[in-house]
Amino acid sequence: MNSKVMDIKKIEVWDGNMAASQAFRQADVDVVAAYPITPSTPVVENYATFEANGYIDGEFVMVESEHAAMSACVGAAAAGGRVATATSSQGFALMVEVLYQAAGMRLPIVLAQVNRALAAPLNVNGDHSDMYLGRDSGWINVSTFSPQEVYDLTLCAFKIGEHLDVRLPVNINQDGFMSSHTAQNVRTLDDKTACDFIGPYQAVNAMLDFSKPVTHGVQTEEDWHFEHKAKQHDAMMRSRKVIDEVFAEFKALTGREYKAVESYGMEDAEVAIVAFGTTYETAKIVVDNLKKEGIKAGIISPRIFRPFPLEDIAAQLQHVKAIACMDRSAPGGSVGALYNEIAGALFNSPARPVLSNIIYGLGGRDMTVSTLTEIYKDLVKEAASGKLNGTIQRFVGVRGPELTYYNA
Amino acid sequence: MSKSIKDMGWDELVQGAALFSFEGEVDYEMSQVQPEDRNYAETNSRNAYVGDWRVEKPVFNKDFCIDCQFCWIYCPDTSIIARDKKMIGVDMDHCKGCGICVEVCPTNPKSLLMFNENTDNEEALEQWPEKSEEKGE
Amino acid sequence: MLEIRWHSRAGQGAVTGAKGLASVVAETGKEVQAFAFYGSAKRGASMTAYNRVDDKPILNHEKYMKPDYVFILDPALAFTDDFTANSKESTKYIITTHLSKAELIAQIPEIQGMEDRVFVLDCFGIALDTIGRAIPNTPMLGAFIKVSGMFEVAEFQESMKSVLGKLSQKIIDANMVAIERAYNEVN
Ligand code: SF4
Ligand code: SF4
Repeated sequence: MNSKVMDIKKIEVWDGNMAASQAFRQADVDVVAAYPITPSTPVVENYATFEANGYIDGEFVMVESEHAAMSACVGAAAAGGRVATATSSQGFALMVEVLYQAAGMRLPIVLAQVNRALAAPLNVNGDHSDMYLGRDSGWINVSTFSPQEVYDLTLCAFKIGEHLDVRLPVNINQDGFMSSHTAQNVRTLDDKTACDFIGPYQAVNAMLDFSKPVTHGVQTEEDWHFEHKAKQHDAMMRSRKVIDEVFAEFKALTGREYKAVESYGMEDAEVAIVAFGTTYETAKIVVDNLKKEGIKAGIISPRIFRPFPLEDIAAQLQHVKAIACMDRSAPGGSVGALYNEIAGALFNSPARPVLSNIIYGLGGRDMTVSTLTEIYKDLVKEAASGKLNGTIQRFVGVRGPELTYYNA
Repeated sequence: MSKSIKDMGWDELVQGAALFSFEGEVDYEMSQVQPEDRNYAETNSRNAYVGDWRVEKPVFNKDFCIDCQFCWIYCPDTSIIARDKKMIGVDMDHCKGCGICVEVCPTNPKSLLMFNENTDNEEALEQWPEKSEEKGE
Repeated sequence: MLEIRWHSRAGQGAVTGAKGLASVVAETGKEVQAFAFYGSAKRGASMTAYNRVDDKPILNHEKYMKPDYVFILDPALAFTDDFTANSKESTKYIITTHLSKAELIAQIPEIQGMEDRVFVLDCFGIALDTIGRAIPNTPMLGAFIKVSGMFEVAEFQESMKSVLGKLSQKIIDANMVAIERAYNEVN
């Protein structure tokens, strides 16, 4: 725990950025190396303010680019310290090369990623294109829906990534502006409780351990590369057990429950949407409204994008008749990633729901209660007829002629 | 390490492809132990023989050597063997024949010279050139 | 659910005001939300900020809002912003102006016939007199307490003091006076 304790209220009104900064502070991070970029800038600014006011015992390093930020994080993590940083969009894109290094070197860095559209055209608002960009990088990827969840799950991220059975970096995603700049009630833990929950950092194969001199970032070529990647994937797949354990421990401490797959109204749902981020919470309102009208609607979201909870999702969708997979990222010449994931999850199961792909919310375009209601109403028709209303993929909320692709 | 890395499956490798330099803990003062007495790990590059990479080899002539240690500092493969700040020869298992040691050797004539790998060392010493009159070479 | 839309110029403190209101209201045990549209807004550009207040956790993340209250922090924006957009039959407007209510309504066709839903005060004048800076957001909060009747003024001031926290006593006192004056002067 940092030597100077911050007096925080039991309920603070924090935006998602402040929630991430505070979780970093409470985690007593050894090194934060960062290069600010909208909309994640305040994560770094808040942290720098804490540091200037004496609340941070660790190092805060300003670097000259996001590539340098992640590189400094890799160095500090290999040296044997707890490490974190924050970024968004183009900054994340610049980090990508080093993200793979961090994962391959099995360094449990925590990244507060505030999701924002990737240019061009330039746009600071939120969509999930940067989150999708990192999905094969070997990081544990967590989706959050509100500032409270950013706080809670950032605390959990250190505990998950640093677990000796895991040792992988963790990316905590939140929606740019919709979460990062939206202040809401956040139930907090005091510094000691938060820090005790995470526990002390355990260095593994640390470069600063002179009793066991070690080389990181070696070259393996064909001889051992495959084996190391196999080991890395195995650690990612086995991290699920640790994730479930950490979530259970967090629930015991706070009463707040997180699951690898979050769902609402799915017990008896006949129509469902699958979506990441803040859309999940807005859809809960719609699900409640529709249930009152007698429509059995549900919403489901992979809280953990990687490792992908394939079996859990498939199990929860068995009785659903029509599903819309909603991707908030330009699909770049195919169906969206969530569509592929869900289709893949269901293919070896008995369920054969009508499955469609909706591209929405690009560049921060609002996803409203009324649009979500329309999407559900379309699903009701598809559930009744047992076939798609039109094509597999369609764009929702875009101006101009209807945009649809792929016939069933 | 009981098992050779060559026989290991993915589950047995060190995570993150980290490679340890030595077997066990280094609980002694490394600089006080000569390389041949250190407990190098299997994966340490000391266990990699690169002698067959050479086309030409450096030959050491101790008659002209002033023990300046330039060769020891500059050799990219730590193949110059020095003891008590005295140059004593070349580690032919790890010398790859790059010739840098010869380049940096400041004596006249040089105390290190490149010869064909197949040339006998005695023969090489007999062919050693005289002091050159040209300054700055 | 109570929803508020702030119309302001970037730099006039609408975001701070919305977040401040959220913090103060949260002190009373309610669930709150505060956000804004930023875009590429430069200081002086027209912008909007938003609040939601409810008794249960706020799940709605849509930016679309049919506000119960609209705050206009800059006198000129009452003439240039479409501040009655997405309004309801019951939406109440609190407008900063040096004009009287009758004078203002006479000049803005959109709010004619809404005398009972339009409220005016001079936030700038009050802020300058009390806090010494032309930051209209604190007086706007005082006016809101009066118009909404949601809080006792003293209770709100106590919550606000705890939010202002580490500021100097002088500034906290000035903010308290600003709230009280706005509360009494809004009409
Ligand atoms: S030839 Fe190159 S590798 Fe060999 S001893 Fe000289 S410097 Fe070292
Ligand atoms: S550089 Fe030449 S003179 Fe100097 S130590 Fe080496 S061999 Fe001797």
